[in-house]
Amino acid sequence: MRGLRRIAARGHSPARLMGGTLVGLVVLMAILGPLLVEGSPTRQDLSAVLDPPSADALLGRDHLGRSVLVRLVHAARLSVSLGAATVVAAAVPGILLGLLAAWAGGWTDRVLSGLGDAVLALPGLLLVLLVVALAPGAFWPLFLGLSLAMWVEWFRVTRAASGALLASPAVEAARLLGFGPWHVLRRHVLPEMAPLFGTLAAFGFAGAVLAVGALGFIGIGLRPPTAEWGLMMVELLPHYDEAPLAMLAPALCLFALVLGLQLLAGRDPR
Amino acid sequence: MTPSLTIEDLRVSAGGVALVRGVSIRVAPGVPLTIVGETGSGKTLVAEAAMGTLAPELVASGRVVLGDAASEAGDRAARRHLWGRGIAMLPQEPWLALDPTMRVLPQVAQGHRFVRGLSMAEATARAREDLAALGLSGAATRFPHQLSGGMAQRVAVAAARAGGAPLLLADEPTKGLDSDLRSAVVALLRGALLAGGSLLCITHDVAVARALGGEVMVMLDGEVVEHGPAETVLTAPSHAYTRRLLAAEPEAWANDAIPGAGEELLSATSLAAERGGRRLFEALDLAVGAGEWVAVTGPSGCGKTTLGNVLLGLLRPAAGQVRRRAGLARTRYQKLYQDPVATFAPRLDLRTALAEAAALHGVPWSQLAAMLARLRVPDALLDRRPDQVSGGELQRIAIARALLADPVFLFADEPTSRLDPITQQETMAALREVSRERGLAVLLVTHDQAMARKVAGRQIALRAA
Repeated sequence: MRGLRRIAARGHSPARLMGGTLVGLVVLMAILGPLLVEGSPTRQDLSAVLDPPSADALLGRDHLGRSVLVRLVHAARLSVSLGAATVVAAAVPGILLGLLAAWAGGWTDRVLSGLGDAVLALPGLLLVLLVVALAPGAFWPLFLGLSLAMWVEWFRVTRAASGALLASPAVEAARLLGFGPWHVLRRHVLPEMAPLFGTLAAFGFAGAVLAVGALGFIGIGLRPPTAEWGLMMVELLPHYDEAPLAMLAPALCLFALVLGLQLLAGRDPR
Repeated sequence: MTPSLTIEDLRVSAGGVALVRGVSIRVAPGVPLTIVGETGSGKTLVAEAAMGTLAPELVASGRVVLGDAASEAGDRAARRHLWGRGIAMLPQEPWLALDPTMRVLPQVAQGHRFVRGLSMAEATARAREDLAALGLSGAATRFPHQLSGGMAQRVAVAAARAGGAPLLLADEPTKGLDSDLRSAVVALLRGALLAGGSLLCITHDVAVARALGGEVMVMLDGEVVEHGPAETVLTAPSHAYTRRLLAAEPEAWANDAIPGAGEELLSATSLAAERGGRRLFEALDLAVGAGEWVAVTGPSGCGKTTLGNVLLGLLRPAAGQVRRRAGLARTRYQKLYQDPVATFAPRLDLRTALAEAAALHGVPWSQLAAMLARLRVPDALLDRRPDQVSGGELQRIAIARALLADPVFLFADEPTSRLDPITQQETMAALREVSRERGLAVLLVTHDQAMARKVAGRQIALRAA
């Protein structure tokens, strides 16, 4: 009942509704696209280079004769799964360490906060580049680097918010009644922080997807022939006059996903 | 003499439900009008209707005459040009209403300059005079955070009156103040009257109405139930509700101090506490026995709450030690808070919250339900969230929750200071009943001297630090 009411309350915000629709469409494309659209994203057909849209390739073909639509949906799968994995990998240690720092205080807090500050002193993308340099073009360093850059945000937000919650009269009363840490977390800390986590997840997701695209675009992320939106854009940039759709399609997908996530994260109706 | 404010047949409703019905008031210069009533009686709506600041979803009808300008009560914009010039509002808790980044003098001068339209130099000179008249000459260059509560109140009055409005509206001007500060505020408001202004004061505190004198109006459920000169209404009330209201004042309570102290539960020797490096109290010796009521009184910020928290072990004392009786679990020392809403998980229904606490202490639900019934908490309330029940009900639920741990000692930190007088009396009565029955010792922190005298066998008066 309460869940229903919450959804209804969110439905009243047109921005959230639009954000949810955009993200939903891209995620749907990532999950179902590769199943519905036949073909390999790397299969070349040099006789059909830069072909306009046809029944065979609904969004036309790129400079190596690969179907843009097939590449688009595979790239969506890559971006969405990388974004989700990064958010999880950043959130789990960030939240746990943030709670630990807020709960323990003292030296634990000082050491963890110092570590967080040290990571923050490096620009996020630089950190990603450093890790990517270990194994250029592979998937895992990208994911690891992004998580390493992003956990600090989760850590700091969790530490600050849970610190205030742990100092509240509600927690004091619960402790006086004899409730343990698990109860305090489950009833007082996590439910209050859930909206905050939602916002962080959406922003983090958008940040990760953009970063992957940007790294692909400047040529240090994933390597061709991987189907990735940033790579697709940069590959087709020289052919923009002949096949504008082939470059615009990945750009629009990236735009839709990031805009949708920002709209979802942006405004809390409360 | 022409009245400064007349409201005729005011009616305010929300979605077809009438919140204020047929209220007519008349405020004349020199004679204060005090509207007394509990939360939800509609008294604040009357003030908001006079200002024109009613919430947009409320529908109002009736006529408001301010000075010689008449307008419809529902026309919110009609009186806006009179704000500061014809009618001024003294905000609740004025220390929060002052601009924290601005010194006192320019803050008062603003009214003279922008509302009255004086030149910068003239405005500053007038502001200086205002501050001098309120004994604040030395504070002109301070920031609000450097003022005491009483000084901030005086600055707020000077700022509110700077525009030259003859009518001052004070909404709960004594909310959250201890008794010394309360008298100072009343004196301040009376000073404004003597200067030729008029005053409409809204309060739930009968003592304020008594101290202000003039006329008193008692509101209940959106209607005026009694209206007349203060001495008549407050000494010979004709309406049953007014009588209950007067009887609920701690001054009028029966002397019900519980003297007998049983075995010692808690003792403190040469206790001292600090806050922000400042010594709050020191060399305090205290022992509390079973069933005993000890009241701690003193001005705001003197360390009353700190003392209780130190006794509970929530804070470490700066010196001395606290000894709780050996063999008793820590959970048998419990606490009641000033603001019960803040002590429950905000998104959890009360039934779940109570059930979990009962399960933790192995108390069957039937026993808890019986206690809730005794405390007159309707069962249906438990399906709501903490912010959806009234303060008095939630405080009684908090009492029931604290009792689950079978406490021997309860630190009650101003448990009724946010409640209406009648609710306050009921809540205190419930607590006393439970205490007597179980031999529960209570350390009551209060700023209400009268209440401390009536309920506590022993009093500790802390001095301002």
